[in-house]
Amino acid sequence: MKRYVMKRLLQLIPILLAITFLSYGMMRMAGSDVVEQKMENTNASVSQDVIDAARAELGLDQPFLVQYGVWLSRLLRGDMGTSYVSRKPVFSTFVGKLPATLLLTVVSILLTILVSIPLGILAAVKQNKVTDYIVRCFSFIGNSLPNFFVSLLLMYLFSIRLGWFPVISQGITMKSVALPAMTLAIAMSSKYLRQVRAAILDELSKDYVTGARARGVRFSVTMLRSVLKASLVTIVTLLTLSIGSLLGGTAIVESIFMWDGVGKLAVDAINMRDYPMIQAYVMWMAIIYVFVNLVTDLSYHCLDPRIRLGGMEP
Amino acid sequence: MKKATALWIAACMAAGLMTGTAAADETEKKNFVFGDTTFNAENEEANINPHEAYCGWACLRYGVGETLFKIQDDSTLAPWLAEGYELVDENTWKITMKEGVCFSNGKPCDAQAVKASLEHLIEVHDRARGDLKIASMEAEGNVLTIVTESTNPTLLNYLSEAYGCVIDMEEGITEDGMVVGTGPYVAVELVTDDHLNLVKNENYWADEVKVDEVTVRTISNGDTLALALQSGEIDAAYGMAYASYPLFENDAYTFTGIQTSRSFYCQMNFQSEIIQDDAVRKAIAMGIDKEGFVGVLLNGYGYVGKGAFPETFPFGGQNVDTQTYDPEGAMAVLEEAGWVDTDGDGIREKDGVELEIKWLTYPSRQELPLLAESAQASLKAIGINMIPNVTADHNSIWKDPTQWDVYAAANVNCGLGDPMNFFSTHCLDASTKNRGQYHNDRVEELAAEMYSTFDSDERAALTIEMQQELLDDNAFIFCSFLRMSMISKASVTGLTAHTCDFYELTSDLDIE
Repeated sequence: MKRYVMKRLLQLIPILLAITFLSYGMMRMAGSDVVEQKMENTNASVSQDVIDAARAELGLDQPFLVQYGVWLSRLLRGDMGTSYVSRKPVFSTFVGKLPATLLLTVVSILLTILVSIPLGILAAVKQNKVTDYIVRCFSFIGNSLPNFFVSLLLMYLFSIRLGWFPVISQGITMKSVALPAMTLAIAMSSKYLRQVRAAILDELSKDYVTGARARGVRFSVTMLRSVLKASLVTIVTLLTLSIGSLLGGTAIVESIFMWDGVGKLAVDAINMRDYPMIQAYVMWMAIIYVFVNLVTDLSYHCLDPRIRLGGMEP
Repeated sequence: MKKATALWIAACMAAGLMTGTAAADETEKKNFVFGDTTFNAENEEANINPHEAYCGWACLRYGVGETLFKIQDDSTLAPWLAEGYELVDENTWKITMKEGVCFSNGKPCDAQAVKASLEHLIEVHDRARGDLKIASMEAEGNVLTIVTESTNPTLLNYLSEAYGCVIDMEEGITEDGMVVGTGPYVAVELVTDDHLNLVKNENYWADEVKVDEVTVRTISNGDTLALALQSGEIDAAYGMAYASYPLFENDAYTFTGIQTSRSFYCQMNFQSEIIQDDAVRKAIAMGIDKEGFVGVLLNGYGYVGKGAFPETFPFGGQNVDTQTYDPEGAMAVLEEAGWVDTDGDGIREKDGVELEIKWLTYPSRQELPLLAESAQASLKAIGINMIPNVTADHNSIWKDPTQWDVYAAANVNCGLGDPMNFFSTHCLDASTKNRGQYHNDRVEELAAEMYSTFDSDERAALTIEMQQELLDDNAFIFCSFLRMSMISKASVTGLTAHTCDFYELTSDLDIE
């Protein structure tokens, strides 16, 4: 297992190099830079000399490969650079946004689990009955509503009508995270409860379930000890992929609720062509996905020891 | 036992009383929360250090800093930290400071302190150095003498720019970009793109400050801003979307609005063959329904434009003549110039070329896509096929003259109370934003004269003549001016919109 984990972690190096090179190149191809974006946002009328000086100060007058090389050499020395926009260190700015993103991820995943697994099982057990239709109907509605619309509905109901939660985040608190987490959980639960239902139905149709029933084993026991356990591989795959995407931030939800996470930071950085910040985000995403996939693979092996890790004996 | 119980009850009552008193003290404090869509790093306002980028806007708007002079609603200047000035010769200005002005830390803000602040500004701020053209300064008591490198009739206007906020350089600038100014509020905490906490300046030199604590919240989403005001989480909002205005048109809220010099205008591309045709430019100017755009698409929250400046200014639109919406007249102009619809498809042609206009604009100002929609409909009615290109990438596209014919944009045409900046950046051969390569000999002459004219009446006359030249050439079409609005709870008083939107939170602010 150790060898397998080390191998996967070593794969991160070429992945990070390739992905940061590509993202740097793509931002250059976008046709504008931070100096231009700032001028547009502020309606500035400055001379070409001032513009050229600003570009030179940031090194934007250099060829692409030189810029990338400078960034990479700094990174190897442990310096992720300074944001072109806020002029603050990229590393501390980025790390400062992580607690908010982590809390939102944890709460929304917990809510998703609490909603989608029981409802998915219920819909499967009550297949083609009224309960199943109601659950599936909610799933359709939840899937059809875009996040920003759900956000506004929740704000109207829970903040304006009931006054339970704030519209705008008041810091990293459970009260402030409630609405953004509910928004994300509604979208994810609507999707996952159908997947859970399908996975459970697939298991329920297997012979061992019929056999257990014939032997008089209680249905709840079969469900908890066998069916649910066998369905966990599918559920874990879904959840870990969601964790990966949530850790990358949810820009729309974050900006609607003024939740100060990495998603909003990334979108702002892209809009402003803030290359050092974009690179930090790209690296973070690459690291998350490598880790999340690694954890998923390891969890497969734990859940079902028949599954081998990368063809190796653990 | 009884004694112990009595003591316990007495202790509880005393504690309750103390808590009650503390709570009463707490409730007596006046806290004001202001939601603003523009206070963010993307807007170059990552902090409140006026010597960095455009952060001076936040310093001035939120009442931390103040400038030597203040731009009034009619665009003239009034003394603020300064008592007055004297123009000794074309390059020498003597500015006298008011007595008793002090920073929020209690230190006096005299000529020496202003000198130190300006010295640091021109050392680190390229734009300010270029605008102010300061060669040297001398401070003596309350008199600051500034010598400029060359004639600079707009020096006082530039000193009223947000970067001109006077800050205590002995106190310095913190790593977070916090400064000590002379304004009614003192900055105590800043989290970029999230909030700024201010407290009352107990040493405020001008007036009694009525609000104890102010929080400025950055809220980038317009719907969230509206919902936050509805839920009562914020007391006032700046930057509300027009579509949300009806929610607040009732007794529970107060609107404060004023006409600003932010214009939504069209700039013609003189490198485009079709635009070089005088008749086409004239027809476009006559074919845009400015009243319809302002009345319907902006819900009346704007003012129809005539010249480059609002009619509240002495050199405003009331002094110039321009084309008015006249579809019949526009059709006649095109007809006379040979633009006729020969194939009956509703679009005119001439020498086999369709009358097609490429309209370039951008979406970051909510009014511009609406203007494009309005113009597309009204120009179609006179036989012009307008093809809109609403893109965030407009800055790279306008550099290619084959990609556009008309460029629609927003610009604060007279932000500092002096009109020259609009001409020098948009209309002259050397202008950085003369995107359509417009040239007019007379405008160049008048501009040269303007650079050395100090008298405000003479400058106004020159401004009017320059505007008329632009309008006679149909080189620019000024469609509308922004009505800048702030919405607050009805209990908020003293929050007033100004033509120059540097001034938002002042010592007048109060909560009843």
